Amino acid sequence: MTISTAPASEPVAADAPPAPGRRRAHRPGQAREWWLGAALVLPALALAVLFKLVPLARGVLTSFESSSGFGGSEFAGADNYTRMFDDPMVLTSFRNALLVVATLPVWIVVPLVLALLIHQRSPGWKFFRAVYFVPYTIAPIVVGIMFRQILAPDGPLNALLRGVGLQPLAIEWLNGRHSALFSLVAVALWSFFGLGVMTYLAGLATIPEETLEAAYLDGAGFWRRLFSVVVPMLRPTVAYWSVLCASGVLIWLFPLIYALTQGGPGDATMLPEYLVFLTTFQFLDRGYGSAIGIALFVFVAVLSIFSVRHMFTEGTRKPR
Amino acid sequence: MNARHSARIGRYLLTFALVVVAVAAIYPLLFTVVSSLKTQAGFAEDPLGLPAGITLDNYLEAFRRMNMPRLLLNSLITTVGGLVLSVLAALLVAYAVTKLRFRGRKIVFLLIIVTLTIPSQAIIYPLYQTVLDLGMSGEYQGLILAYAAFGLPLGTYQLAGYFQQVPDELIEAARVDGAGHLTILFRLLAPIATPALAALAIFNFVWMWNDLLLPLVIMGGSDSKTLMVGVSLLSGQYDVSVPLVSAGLIVALLPVLVIYLVFQRQLVSGALAGSGK
Repeated sequence: MTISTAPASEPVAADAPPAPGRRRAHRPGQAREWWLGAALVLPALALAVLFKLVPLARGVLTSFESSSGFGGSEFAGADNYTRMFDDPMVLTSFRNALLVVATLPVWIVVPLVLALLIHQRSPGWKFFRAVYFVPYTIAPIVVGIMFRQILAPDGPLNALLRGVGLQPLAIEWLNGRHSALFSLVAVALWSFFGLGVMTYLAGLATIPEETLEAAYLDGAGFWRRLFSVVVPMLRPTVAYWSVLCASGVLIWLFPLIYALTQGGPGDATMLPEYLVFLTTFQFLDRGYGSAIGIALFVFVAVLSIFSVRHMFTEGTRKPR
Repeated sequence: MNARHSARIGRYLLTFALVVVAVAAIYPLLFTVVSSLKTQAGFAEDPLGLPAGITLDNYLEAFRRMNMPRLLLNSLITTVGGLVLSVLAALLVAYAVTKLRFRGRKIVFLLIIVTLTIPSQAIIYPLYQTVLDLGMSGEYQGLILAYAAFGLPLGTYQLAGYFQQVPDELIEAARVDGAGHLTILFRLLAPIATPALAALAIFNFVWMWNDLLLPLVIMGGSDSKTLMVGVSLLSGQYDVSVPLVSAGLIVALLPVLVIYLVFQRQLVSGALAGSGK
């Protein structure tokens, strides 16, 4: 059941099993442990290779071909890549992606503040904890369609703003050159902040009461305790949540663009992930779509290289 | 006296802030529920207020148009399949790279978590090609395997982090007692990692159930398409009213919401399992 039906590549073949007898007497059963190890990592490796690395390699190959419409394809060298640099749509999409990435601090701080507020255990804190997670459970595509109504020019948000006398703020949220991307990110934040709050709360729960008690007895005030005790002890959690956000924020936006703006108005909310989809499946320009996809991969990889390094050390470090 | 006074004001402000965010978090959902209970004419008349009368016609119509039972079944099969396969593969590989001694285990671990940097959007066409070549386009197993692969990096990372905390002596002791590796993994380590497993299961359930791009491309318009694809298609039809779409949305989001409310305690206790050191 655990072995996938996929043709098993021999992924760890580079590490030949230690030939018996050639080495000094090693721990008995080490060769068997190698075979066992290979068997246990096989399902995961097969999945990763077949559904991520192979498509990635094929994507690279396709990106060097000119293949559009339903016809065949031919080798086109780096044409697709040079074309990208002259394509205002591509350039805009990556500039928009950078703007989205620039909002990452907000993604990291807002849930932290909310988690700290809940952690004060004021009356009803369990209720708030439960409610804040609800948006995350709703599918982004559903969230997108929902917010089409909420953000409509005559929708409830603008009605509220007019009601409290903030008439000038009641704008066409999804139709402005600048407001559209802002709205999109805000909706995404609405949809994901609960996961961040939950993550931080779990981290806060690992801080021993005694530590805080001791700081309190030493005369440390609320803010002092917050910045000298709580925040430093929360660093692994902050790192974990940053990992998730940095590698996820662009991906999370796709269904929202799909439901809310379709990249518009004009190219105001065009992001690389949506452009890949559009180029490949709407304009049927597979070579060019793949090239943009590879560019997106490089973009995300650069963004999350630190995350991966952090994860690697976390996962291989022995506890002290 | 004064200090106590300001402390109380601080409390009020804190509760006020929490309430404002709670309203913002829950209002869009309430708005959609209310809209779904209005008639089309009722919504046109008064889109924002409470309905004059409640109708369930929108739900009946949404069920009729979307072949809802089939969509629900498709989503359930692919989500549970992907979730089980993904967690199982992650369990095995996490155990191998943290508790077995064989060469190349660090490279394997790195290879798995590095795939986190490959977003589905970047490779969506070649992924579709690959699924097609495997003869799994429009088939449950195509989507299940893809889900499993995309859930793998974070699951492996979380479980490896958790297993790393379990002292090797414990494993050695079990070995000496004659326990095999699979016994150790499933009878000793998995129970220890229950909070992490629960959190991982819920996390995977939520994103797999809610995902749009993978089922959209792999299942296309086939009979095996998932609920989210159905919802996105429904909202694209030109003659569909807001109350009708709202009803479809409520049906689509209800299963995950119910699962969340039922398993809320486990989720809270295990949310950070694996990195809450």
